[in-house]
Amino acid sequence: MKTTRRSFIQAATGTGLVLLIDNWLTADASASFSPNAYLQIGSDNIIKLWVTRTEMGQGVRTTLPMMLVEELDADWSQIRLEQAATIPRFKGIRLRTSGSGSTVGTYAALRKAGATARVMLIAAAAENWGVESSACHADAGVVIHSKSRRKATYGQLAAAAARQPVPENPPLKDPKQFRVIGKPKKRSDGKAILTGKARYGIDTRVPGMLYAVLKRCPYLGGKVASFDKTRCMSLPGVRYVVPVKSGLATGVAVVADHTWAAMKGAETLDVNWDAGPNRDFDSDQFLREMEVALSEPGYFVRGDGNAEKVLPSAARKLEAIYEFPFQAHAPLETMNCTADVRSDSCEIWVPTQAPEVAQENTAKQLGLPKDSVKVNVTLTGGAFGRRLFVDYVPEAVEISKAIARPVQVVWTRGDDMRFGYFQPPSIVKITGGFDGNKKPLFWIQRSVGGDLTVYPAPTEKELADPHHYFNDGSPWGSFDNPYNFPNLKADFVRRTAPVPTGPWRAVEYPAQVFARESFLDEMAYDAGRDPLDLRLELLQPGDTLKLGDAKIDRGRLIQALQLVAERSNWRQPPQAIPGRDWGRGLACNIYSDDCFMAQVAEVSVGKKDRDIKVHRIVCAFDCGRVINPLGLEGQNESGVIWGLTAALHGRIDFKNGCAVQENYVDYQVIRLNESPAIETHFIESDQAPGGFGETAVPPVAPAVANAIFAATGKRVRRLPITPEKLLT
Amino acid sequence: MPAYTLSINGKTHDVEAPPDMPLLWVLRDLLHLTGTKYGCGMGVCGACTVHENGKPLRSCQLAVSSAVGKKYTTIEGLSAHGDHPCQRAWIEEDVSQCGYCQVGMLMTTAALLVENPHPSDAEIDSVLSEHICRCGTYQRIRRAARRAAIGRSRA
Repeated sequence: MKTTRRSFIQAATGTGLVLLIDNWLTADASASFSPNAYLQIGSDNIIKLWVTRTEMGQGVRTTLPMMLVEELDADWSQIRLEQAATIPRFKGIRLRTSGSGSTVGTYAALRKAGATARVMLIAAAAENWGVESSACHADAGVVIHSKSRRKATYGQLAAAAARQPVPENPPLKDPKQFRVIGKPKKRSDGKAILTGKARYGIDTRVPGMLYAVLKRCPYLGGKVASFDKTRCMSLPGVRYVVPVKSGLATGVAVVADHTWAAMKGAETLDVNWDAGPNRDFDSDQFLREMEVALSEPGYFVRGDGNAEKVLPSAARKLEAIYEFPFQAHAPLETMNCTADVRSDSCEIWVPTQAPEVAQENTAKQLGLPKDSVKVNVTLTGGAFGRRLFVDYVPEAVEISKAIARPVQVVWTRGDDMRFGYFQPPSIVKITGGFDGNKKPLFWIQRSVGGDLTVYPAPTEKELADPHHYFNDGSPWGSFDNPYNFPNLKADFVRRTAPVPTGPWRAVEYPAQVFARESFLDEMAYDAGRDPLDLRLELLQPGDTLKLGDAKIDRGRLIQALQLVAERSNWRQPPQAIPGRDWGRGLACNIYSDDCFMAQVAEVSVGKKDRDIKVHRIVCAFDCGRVINPLGLEGQNESGVIWGLTAALHGRIDFKNGCAVQENYVDYQVIRLNESPAIETHFIESDQAPGGFGETAVPPVAPAVANAIFAATGKRVRRLPITPEKLLT
Repeated sequence: MPAYTLSINGKTHDVEAPPDMPLLWVLRDLLHLTGTKYGCGMGVCGACTVHENGKPLRSCQLAVSSAVGKKYTTIEGLSAHGDHPCQRAWIEEDVSQCGYCQVGMLMTTAALLVENPHPSDAEIDSVLSEHICRCGTYQRIRRAARRAAIGRSRA
């Protein structure tokens, strides 16, 4: 990268002559070497690595540096992590974090960035020693000339390295030589987190800042009609009351000396609402309407063979309807944003997955050039797709501008629970059948659901195209059904609620995979087949299914199934626990086309009060090359618990146009006492790393539902699975 | 505004605050001790846990006016060098994902081990089930708490 190199040379002006007389070991202490945006080596031997994704628990601040350190051959003690912000240094480099894509999307670039620096450091040393580069090698931050045993640290070489030509295609390591990639690495922020020093968005403290909490309109699509700030302004600590028109959940902000006064102020504020057009919206009724919509014509999603034609000839057919309700993200750190708006610039500190969008939107909002807006990405207290949206940013910007001071907007837990971008509900009907030899004959999957508003809503023209959802490869989990039915049909009926909706952990997969993997189980039991055997048969001949750009290698899923069967003792008889019914359930998922997973849940149900206990969940993956096995194990455990919340508890309701649930009391999430033993098993692979952080979520609900069926004979098709549903 | 003198991490702090202001916000917004986290505001998630005279306390549920005359410890004061047995165990087990809830988990465990140096697995599960980790790191939390308990009983 020529610009970076030029800027280095400018920074090192004055040292050039010294360097030429071979005194580079004592070169200017301020010199540094930065061949690309990702790293900078100082003459003090400190290496700065920039992390170009948001840390949200998935471990990017560990995994991404691992890939750089591997090719750079640096020593961990030299490394200092910096978080990339929306500054010119990162122009053209993606900072957005989504789609389980952080490793997939940076693997090649970070390896190349590290290798580039290594090649230039070695070349600098070789030039100085008057030897060939090929006679030198790098090891733990030092270049060594093997024959003469001469050594130089990267810090000593930084200035000279910057004058080397930048290699276009630096040689990457043979994976057999990897010393960092593939080895367990504890997270880089561990100690900062556990000593309270790690800064999340909500921990931002800027001189002169005030704190704001909004009283938000409780009605979907409603707004402020009028407000009276008299009572509120009399509270100690309250400074300003500001109506807020931007963002997702508009209302009136109370700005105060501290968050508590702002919260009390927002409670005290007298506001009349214009409830708007959705005041009668009721999510139960909406789900019933979705079910009625199953009879409407749908958009084409997939059509192999001719399912409808063979349907009447089936020797045996069955049909079932599955329901997946609205779900909240409910990350533990509520939405927040700190903004400092000046006359000609704006600085923002925000826990977000989408800093580029925040920057662009803010520039538009303030009428500033984009480069005048700096978005600093903080640590996030969980994100799960919620922080792909940046609705909390314009609120802070609007308030800071109005009061001409830096301000931190904090969402209360109630705000966070009631005003998110919810996972939309789905109703899925599947019809399947066998021929006279009990061979699977056809599969028809009809889904009713909404769009995810993180993408632009489809235009009228797009909606007029019967292949619109097929073109998008949507819905995930139905479109990319890996099972080899000779006749397979999938379609989609669009039903959007007046509820803001967005991707959740695993984006669109959870609802479709719940239906698909539950129904496979139903088919297996109906035919008297083992659910594992039926799946293995349906993945034959282990070939690659091509769907648009995606190439789904059925062979990789077969391997994952075989491994999970072995590790879970699938073929062994069920366990016996006095007073309880015990069962195993199986489910699979393929995330995109690069992560393949099979999962077995072991569940027992109390004979009397039907309480559900998930004992163990065994997971097997082929996810390509594993960068950090310790991190991936954690991600799998995390995904399983996330899926288990949806399986056993998760549900958001709307009544009279307002969200019903307000806190972790009425939106229960899995706690430690409900947490099963989770096992993670990997298939060794030389394939490129696959997306991992979300893959484990979708199979949990069907694996648990299938286990409950195995235990009790009771099939639950509407989530969440509660003891009440097992009583009747 | 009323003034209160508080004892936090062995130091005395004078703060001016409304009497009903929870200790959580005094710590975070007046003293800038941001290691103690806001999660739910109603004492059900455990993210704001501190020690009051050595016992775990949900700081979002305690008005500052009731905090006078007691000794509080936050994560910033748990150990001088970040090497409390719980901190060591949590790092060793690589528990944290987003990490936001972990300070609360750790403070509860640290207090439990003072009161009961040899807790059973059931006792550990019981107190930590009053907390929420949305990343679902429970398996490692359990392991870390057990490791800390063993480490302490050996010491």
